[in-house]
Amino acid sequence: MICKLPSTRCLKLALTLASVIAVPLAGEEITYERDVRPILKTHCFQCHGEGGKLEGGLDVRLRRLIARGGDSGEAFVAGMPDNSLLLQRILDGDMPPEEVALRPTADEVATIQRWIADGAIASRDEPEDLDPDNYITEEERAFWAFQPVAREQPPTVSAAQRVRTPIDQFIIAKLEANNLPISPDADARTLIRRVYFDLLGLPPAPEEVDAFVNDSSADAYDRMLDRVLNSPHYGERWGRHWLDVAGYADSEGYTEDDPVRPYVYKYRDYVIRAFNDDKPFDQFVIEQLAGDELLTPPFENLTPGEAEKLVATGFLRMAPDGTGVGGVDQNLARNDVMAKTIEIVSTSLLGLTVGCAQCHNHRYDPISHEDYHAIRAIFEPSLDWKNWLAPAKRRVSLYTDADRAKSAEIEAEALKILEARTKKQDEYIEATFQRELAKLEASLREPITTARNTPEKQRTAQQKKLLKEHPSVNVTASSLYLYDKKAADELKKMADEANAIRKTKPKEEFVRAVWEPTGKAPPATFLFHRGDYEQPKQQISPRELTVLTSARTSTLPENDEARPTTGRRLAYAKWLTSGEHPLTARVLVNRVWLNHFGQGLVPTPGDFGTLGVPPTHPELLDWLANEFVASGWSVKQLHRLIMTSTTYRQASLHHDEGDAIDADNLLYWRMPVRRLEAEVLRDTVLAITDELNGKAFGPAVPVMADRVGQFVIGQENLNAGRPGAIVPMKGEDLRRSIYIEARRSRPLSIMEPFDLPRMEPNCTSRNASTVSPQSLLLMNSEFVLERASQFAQRVQRDAGGDVSMQVTRAWQLAFAATPSDDELAEAISFLDEQTKHFAAHPLSATKDKQKVEPADEALASFCHALLSSNRFLYID
Amino acid sequence: MNNNDRLQSTRRHFLASNAMSLSSVALAWLLNQDGAFAKSARPELAPQTFTLDAKPPQKPARANAMISLWMQGGPSHLDMFDPKPELQKYDGKTFPGEIKYDNAAQASATVLGSPWKFNKHGQCGTELSELVPHLANVIDDVCLIRSMHTGVNNHGQSIQAMNTGQILAGRPVLGSWLTYALGSETQDLPAYVALIDPGQLPVMGVENWNNGYLPALYQGTVVRPQEPRILNLTPPARIKGEAQTRYLSYLERLNQRHLEQRPGELDLEARIASYKLAAKMQTAAKEALDLSQETAATKRLYGFDDPACKEFGERCLIARRMVERGVRCVQVFTENQRWDNHNNIRSALPAACKKVDQPSAALVADLKQRGLLETTLVHWGGEMGRLPVIQNNAGLEKVGRDHNTYGFSMWLAGGGVRGGMTFGNTDDFGHHAVEDVVNHYDYHATLLHLFGLEPEELTFKQNNRERSLLEGKGRVVHEILS
Repeated sequence: MICKLPSTRCLKLALTLASVIAVPLAGEEITYERDVRPILKTHCFQCHGEGGKLEGGLDVRLRRLIARGGDSGEAFVAGMPDNSLLLQRILDGDMPPEEVALRPTADEVATIQRWIADGAIASRDEPEDLDPDNYITEEERAFWAFQPVAREQPPTVSAAQRVRTPIDQFIIAKLEANNLPISPDADARTLIRRVYFDLLGLPPAPEEVDAFVNDSSADAYDRMLDRVLNSPHYGERWGRHWLDVAGYADSEGYTEDDPVRPYVYKYRDYVIRAFNDDKPFDQFVIEQLAGDELLTPPFENLTPGEAEKLVATGFLRMAPDGTGVGGVDQNLARNDVMAKTIEIVSTSLLGLTVGCAQCHNHRYDPISHEDYHAIRAIFEPSLDWKNWLAPAKRRVSLYTDADRAKSAEIEAEALKILEARTKKQDEYIEATFQRELAKLEASLREPITTARNTPEKQRTAQQKKLLKEHPSVNVTASSLYLYDKKAADELKKMADEANAIRKTKPKEEFVRAVWEPTGKAPPATFLFHRGDYEQPKQQISPRELTVLTSARTSTLPENDEARPTTGRRLAYAKWLTSGEHPLTARVLVNRVWLNHFGQGLVPTPGDFGTLGVPPTHPELLDWLANEFVASGWSVKQLHRLIMTSTTYRQASLHHDEGDAIDADNLLYWRMPVRRLEAEVLRDTVLAITDELNGKAFGPAVPVMADRVGQFVIGQENLNAGRPGAIVPMKGEDLRRSIYIEARRSRPLSIMEPFDLPRMEPNCTSRNASTVSPQSLLLMNSEFVLERASQFAQRVQRDAGGDVSMQVTRAWQLAFAATPSDDELAEAISFLDEQTKHFAAHPLSATKDKQKVEPADEALASFCHALLSSNRFLYID
Repeated sequence: MNNNDRLQSTRRHFLASNAMSLSSVALAWLLNQDGAFAKSARPELAPQTFTLDAKPPQKPARANAMISLWMQGGPSHLDMFDPKPELQKYDGKTFPGEIKYDNAAQASATVLGSPWKFNKHGQCGTELSELVPHLANVIDDVCLIRSMHTGVNNHGQSIQAMNTGQILAGRPVLGSWLTYALGSETQDLPAYVALIDPGQLPVMGVENWNNGYLPALYQGTVVRPQEPRILNLTPPARIKGEAQTRYLSYLERLNQRHLEQRPGELDLEARIASYKLAAKMQTAAKEALDLSQETAATKRLYGFDDPACKEFGERCLIARRMVERGVRCVQVFTENQRWDNHNNIRSALPAACKKVDQPSAALVADLKQRGLLETTLVHWGGEMGRLPVIQNNAGLEKVGRDHNTYGFSMWLAGGGVRGGMTFGNTDDFGHHAVEDVVNHYDYHATLLHLFGLEPEELTFKQNNRERSLLEGKGRVVHEILS
């Protein structure tokens, strides 16, 4: 039954979107392929045609097959809907069967009725000898996302004076068609704040703001942009976006154990470096899908460059993986890793929900059950469920031969101590036994000694009973501490000593990677009936989805004889990044656009299929995709292209006209206002208080549960399951959020309410909710209050004792702006009243804490207000 | 349908046209829906939304709230609830059967008869020891189960069994399941509350109220034994009251000014409203935790005038106030190992009983007199009982008893459970449950039944697997239902 679950999910997804199929307009000719087939594909194909099943002998996958009918005779009579079984069974509610939750809508039924009434037309001759399971209609093939990327010319526009880049021509042309002007440019302060948050996820320093505002040269904006793009923090911000799509986590997930993934951080660091270095994205994709195939096995004595290629394949190891945990159904868990990996690859690079074809043909998109397994075949040799490697085994050592020799030497030394320890332990056990024996009646001593010295299996019933009645003589290595603590301590000391020696071994580090075994025939991929691995059917070869296959598609090798590996992934990666693939570049530029504007040109970044939303600006999407490929897949170049546009630089204000015509701003008549994401919020607060530890890279900073179950940064130190003494974090707790452990079962409590995504398995687009737990956290949490106090101290350090200087400084730090006279006056009056209040309720100095002045407390309260304000939380 | 039409039929637009004319209650309700103001729904995300809105049970329910008085460590059933004449007869002699020990070094096979006298109480005549005189007063409302069994002889696993239904770590606890299934009757207070002891945290720490694989929304909220009682829900004392009110009104001023310059920006309006709702939750929590509203008689009932039980009494009273205000599930914990009497049982056990007996009984009586007992299930118990033999045979005052998860006692009251009865039995020495055994699966199956939930329909999908509390095990113990 379990294998059926994915289809339930597909069904639920479909339920929420059941109304997306277009309704033909009155007077329009209704055809089988365009109008009726999608409805039947969704509701009927599964039992009436697909997978060899023909319930009632009826196949509805082609018009001629419906006409032929089933056991009950012909399914329709052209022109006579009332005499057509196909329609009548639906109208009677007999079909789909009662237990199927997804019902055809009234519009869909009406479409079928009209189709029959109008003569049940097919657009063209239907194939006679084609396998209808893999039959893709011309209408399906004609879907926009499957077309080659078009070479678009930017249109001409009236408001030519507002055009800075071709992007503006595409945007303004559409705006003009809708009688909407593009908004005026945002002011310099707004712009620099927007750019900083967008590219770095950090606020600009007031000095940087001033320098930019006062720079009147024509290229001031471009230079600022370049400077920000070169910041090492850029990779931390944009790497995070990619890690969302890749489903990065520092733990395996899948089970409650949620084991930590050591060394996965190397992949995170690889991603950050790739963005900082503007690694060409085609190369970035190739390395992640097939970095191992760029090397020659065996992977020994690796250079840093070689190791990096293996680290990149960590992308294929992001899926939740329960195969290292006991008690897990191994076959199920292994196949789940494969399924989730396919989901990650397809939503991130293809923008298609290929996973919906795991159990049956996709109900909406022309992706067949066979297609799914053809994609699976690409990854089968590296994630072979019949020859599986659990997470702890699926890694490559960075140990060199020299490291290994040194290590063996040290181990020999440690063993010497351990041998001595074992000898001592035996002596202590014997001595303890004698002592316990002495406490017993003299007559018992001999029989007990004999019983004890008799091997357990040879003991008589009498001897067993004797030992049971005197449990205290059962001294063992593990219970010795209960009798003789001193002895146990001494033994422990020896063990510690051996361990200390072992710790001097050169540290062995590993790379979390995938690779293919060499010298073996690649494993066969079988089509799994209903997605059930226990029901394998025909063998499937690796290939691209049929609908994306064109004459220009490079075919994928079964087993490339010229390579030590099959070459499947490498060939696939090269095809994806060839510039010819209809989806990859579109999906990637759309994602970059999404992260600049908060919405994609295709508003459903993980689904470019039928159920997704088509692009608002298809020509712009294609133009950007072409530019991206032409620039050598440079993401930084793409940023420049987008961010220098008037579209990006415009103000964010609403106006009635715009709201009336396009309330969702799909035409980009203004810059959308965006809320800070969870990580950006935390990082920004730390930056403003001047506490942020800018240290980059390395193992994740751990997260633990505190005494009340909140997940906080800290080294777990449990004692009987409860938190023990707090381990000092030495500033590690103040590092950027991307370096904080992303353990699936432990979302950081101060970030989780702000829509921190759950990686199950990845996140193609984040939510930005507004709920009261966020407000409570900003009002009352220890973290925020402590930061407010730190913020106040920083303001005092920077601005001295003058209140208006303090307010101004705080304003600059939090908002990248200077307060107006009114705002200043209000702030001072607030500070004044709060100071009076705290003075009237003095706080006595405790021995741990210095006495806090009322004015200091008031300033902290003011800083707190700024940190919880909308002006701080949103970017214009 | 073109693209614009499709996006414009989103909830955002519903709010744009209606939000400002909605009553504040309706707006609050909307704000509580996670993601109400989020961007339009996107198919591949299709995030399930989880809320704490009250949801109907799957079938008629007897209970709608639960208070669990958690006695971690293993209260000695042999000395409180389960009189054994054989035990008294063998006192000081060698135990005639087999014993499963946990600590061999201090183990002995010498039987320890209970040092405390048992008497019949109430109309039902249930026998209880002199250590729990207050329980004796409400025994006609209590169902005492004498045949509990988990069979895993250490604290952690047995706690998990009794708290999550499973021996393995990391499962969602019962309180998380109940709030996941039924939501909460109040949106002003946390749905599920854990009242921890001022001493140590219980064993397994935060796991005791952990949501496991259920969404974090269903995690228990810790109410601390001192202010601030609820983290994030109430401000620290220093800024509470006037200072916070001024901060909030200044914040509102900042936000209004910001909004005036950005008219029509719905998210900004929503956030201003969410601060108001948050402030309201603070007041509601403060009110719920304010025991000064209770009468002197009530406080006396809970033992406020006895320093030995005042603190536990306060928490029992808070539990009642929470349930009264619509909170679904409350747990009251004793501190770490309070009941783990490996030694000095003669002094430690009476002290532990003194701490909890009066408040626990008061809670039952108080709920009953307010008409809440009918729908509130009260549970009192730990994860194990104790052995019939001596541990630490180092003198009369020093003796104790080792762990026993093969047979122990606990009690339930209210919420559809029959009062004035005992159920099940242990063997002659109280070592093993032998008659009408109730294991941790049966216990949870029975609780779910009382809450109107079908164990197999209460599921959560994790990694394509339907997870449930019982995973197919357990039976409803119909014999104890009223």
